[in-house]
Amino acid sequence: MILRNLKFALNSAWQSFWRNLAVSLAAVLSITLILILAGVNLLVGHALSQVLDGFRAKVSEISINVSDDTPLQNVYDFQQQLTVDPRVASVSFVTKDEALAEFKSDPQNFILAQQIEGNPLDAKLDVRVKNLNDVAAIDTVARRWSGVDPTDPTNYQGEFVNRMLQLSEWLSLAGAGLLVVLLIVSVVIVMNTIRTAVYHRRKEIEVMKLVGATEWFVRGPFVIEGVMTGLIAASIALALLVVGYEPVVLRFRSDIGFIPLSYDPAFISSLARDLLLAGALLGALGSYIGVRRYVRI
Amino acid sequence: MVLTPDFAIRPVISFQHVHKTYPTGTEALRDVNLEVPEGDFLFLVGPSGAGKSTLVRLLIREEKPSKGKIFVDGVELGRMKRRRLPHYRRKVGLVFQDFKLLPNLTVYENIAFALRVLGESDQRVRARVAEALDTVSLYGKENTYPANLSGGEQQRVAIARALVHAPRFIIADEPTGNLDPATAWEIMQLFLRINARGATVVMATHNREIVDLLRRRVIAIDAGQIARDDRSGRYHDDFAKSEVRAQ
Repeated sequence: MILRNLKFALNSAWQSFWRNLAVSLAAVLSITLILILAGVNLLVGHALSQVLDGFRAKVSEISINVSDDTPLQNVYDFQQQLTVDPRVASVSFVTKDEALAEFKSDPQNFILAQQIEGNPLDAKLDVRVKNLNDVAAIDTVARRWSGVDPTDPTNYQGEFVNRMLQLSEWLSLAGAGLLVVLLIVSVVIVMNTIRTAVYHRRKEIEVMKLVGATEWFVRGPFVIEGVMTGLIAASIALALLVVGYEPVVLRFRSDIGFIPLSYDPAFISSLARDLLLAGALLGALGSYIGVRRYVRI
Repeated sequence: MVLTPDFAIRPVISFQHVHKTYPTGTEALRDVNLEVPEGDFLFLVGPSGAGKSTLVRLLIREEKPSKGKIFVDGVELGRMKRRRLPHYRRKVGLVFQDFKLLPNLTVYENIAFALRVLGESDQRVRARVAEALDTVSLYGKENTYPANLSGGEQQRVAIARALVHAPRFIIADEPTGNLDPATAWEIMQLFLRINARGATVVMATHNREIVDLLRRRVIAIDAGQIARDDRSGRYHDDFAKSEVRAQ
């Protein structure tokens, strides 16, 4: 009996989708547009988070310059002190020779490297901090250490890190806010579109109720039709986003080079999952709410 | 005064001091008392706005009484839980003046619809729909859409849908209202056959000729009250309260 009812619901959802094609297409179109907006938001959010991750990785590492006259034991002790600090992810010691070799290996320093006599560079401790917020505290610890080079203690740029932190917070907030707005708008639009579809079929619903259909029997086909509509819309939105994703990123990169936006094909599967899920849920929720007024016996 | 015909058979429909006042303040029914025995054929007559349709709506539980009780088959409709309502409606076959057919469905699909909601198997649906089509003499029109049928044929489809699940009650609201006299008469023959098989029929109508010809039980409603209850009655135009008499 349940299987027969499910078969009936699936059949009538399918038939009704095609029989009311104009209204069905209007619903597909509105959900598609909303999902494209949501998809663009997700893609932009993902690209920006990659850019921010890159910046974060850069600024969460500080180099502590070691004064030339600091005994090696003192350096090791301080390295050990930093290693056991819970805020620190890793510490590596770079000797003066290694620092020079590193400097010379950079092609940008080629001409400068040829003019260097001796080794003017400091040995250094490269410290990677777990949380960006703790970089300032580690910098303070380093500056208080007796072995630090007093003329150039660290490469920490507090102002830049603070700005990055603020930007990152604002972008997350804006992304979340946009998603919430899109969600509310989409539910309202879908609900009204589906309510129009349901209004066209109010006679059918009335007859269903009069011949003894239960509320769920009446509602079932509409909810399934909503899911179907949502999935079709999500597939169209996904196809358009996938087609447009790479060219848009490449164009953006060539036009605005200083923001290193990247194309990430691995993200498409998670985008597909999110959009299909959102489409199905939007369709189901919109239908459920849209049909409620007419279904109540 | 309770106007109950002295029937020996137990009543399957019983109205006990039923009042219905709509939220607008309109008093549609006042102290209606009525008992319908199983297998009865009952005409509800009266001028427009007298309360016939309200009585039908109460019977199919589209409305609840403001006061009083309605029992159908031993169940009090006013206290019936909402989730039980579909099960009650499956015992009833409904026929309306405007047929209420679904234009997107064929004749077969329209009739089968009443069985689909019960979750009947395809095989059973086919057999029962064929039987119903035979009863209303619409064999060969299974794949036609309602728009391509005459008014009489559409009403036959509606009747086939009403009886396909073998209901115990048929409730009809002006079923011949949109039909010419000859077609109306054919439709009435169908109702008589359904009644002869044991179904109780309650029919609201304005069709004087049919009521006078069939000489079945007539309940005349006027200004929300039962003005007359004739066991084998006529239509009468005069619904003045002075005519009230128990038969």
